[in-house]
Amino acid sequence: MALTVTPDTYNFVAFDTAYTARIAERMATQLGLDDIDILLAINENSSLTRIDVTVTDALITIAPHSGALEDTRRPRQQSELNTTITIARGMLRARDRLRGGFADAPADAELTLPQAAAWDTYIMGRIAHMDIVLNKQAWVYNFRNRHGFSDAVDAVFEKLWNCESTTWAELSSLSANTVSVTA
Amino acid sequence: MKKFMPVEELARDERFNQITQADRMADGRNALIGEAEKSRKSNRLTPARPDASEAARALMHGIFVGEIQALEGAGRTCWDFTTGEEAPFELKLDMARQAWDEARHVEISLKLSDWMGSEIGQYAENTVLFQAACSNDPVLRLAGVNRALEGLAIDVFTTMKEFGEIAGDPYLEFCEDWMLADEVTHVKMGSDWLRKITENDPERRKKALEFQGIVDKMFSYGGSRSDSEESSFAIARRFRELAGFTEDENDHIADLGMQALNERKAQLREKQAAVTN
Repeated sequence: MALTVTPDTYNFVAFDTAYTARIAERMATQLGLDDIDILLAINENSSLTRIDVTVTDALITIAPHSGALEDTRRPRQQSELNTTITIARGMLRARDRLRGGFADAPADAELTLPQAAAWDTYIMGRIAHMDIVLNKQAWVYNFRNRHGFSDAVDAVFEKLWNCESTTWAELSSLSANTVSVTA
Repeated sequence: MKKFMPVEELARDERFNQITQADRMADGRNALIGEAEKSRKSNRLTPARPDASEAARALMHGIFVGEIQALEGAGRTCWDFTTGEEAPFELKLDMARQAWDEARHVEISLKLSDWMGSEIGQYAENTVLFQAACSNDPVLRLAGVNRALEGLAIDVFTTMKEFGEIAGDPYLEFCEDWMLADEVTHVKMGSDWLRKITENDPERRKKALEFQGIVDKMFSYGGSRSDSEESSFAIARRFRELAGFTEDENDHIADLGMQALNERKAQLREKQAAVTN
């Protein structure tokens, strides 16, 4: 397996490629992705927090915009925690597609906002269970924004957050049913 | 107690990290040009944006620190000027009432931040709002704080209220609506006092309105506020009218926002081209 991080140097942010690669290597091992090539291509031109993930049988490409790795307290500086979470998010999404029952999920750009939020909940729940510090309420809020503000929606959130294993068919159906109940 | 406190001396605990407007503008990354421009039809902060939750949280934190600075600004106006000679007692009374409102807004914004999933100091605090409240002339403070800063608050609260309404978030919509009502009052106080104090001093009024123009452009944050869909939030014309802004004044603020947006885009293109070359 080869792990590549680009770019080597940065013009707009104070990020460190070697440091990022160390975090990515550790995460790949932890998630069982040390048998496949991974390209981590950081888009330093954009301050957005988006993460683009594409997967083939031979290569996982994770392309986060720089805002996703940034320390929001200190603009343009790298945050170890946000770097860890972003890499874990990208890798878990890729692993779901490759080996986790999400092979039939639409490409990231084709996902509806509720579908993306439901999948993020499933991913972030697993990250939280890896004892990585994150603000659960932020993900509750994201899920509510996409599915509605009610106790029934919160119950679905909890189910996904604590779920150890699911498939795209189950997750997308749960999301669609939640949206239709709220509407 | 010290009078005319500079922005560098604002008291904050270790959770806060302050930055200046210059720091913010030095950031050569963008969401306005190149790939970012193509990937979005609109930059308006609405629930339709894929990053809506994160963007709303960041803006809510901006509102929270803005309310702290507005509280400090109104409070300083009560203290910095001699009653009667430099500022009428009734003006100070209005500023004290405003400080009370802002303190309540700080509490509300803090609870909304919890609700949305962020923490105190999670984002950098831009101190540009308090800078507008550092003038030695109370009339310039009214123009900078009550008309420009509180005018900006009207635009931001309207955006957040609509966000809550569309997303179906009952607390966000309700709280922003109530705070918006207060901001309309604060702007009106500023407009009324500005007219009253400068009634026989057209030169001072002109100077105050010029200062407001400068502050309004600064508060467009490089085009974050304008009539263009490229900006995160729009000019809330209806609520601004209720607060005493004329149609011409609103048009002028919209023009300043467009100017700021175009200048920022040109600046970003220049920075990015310099790196490419």
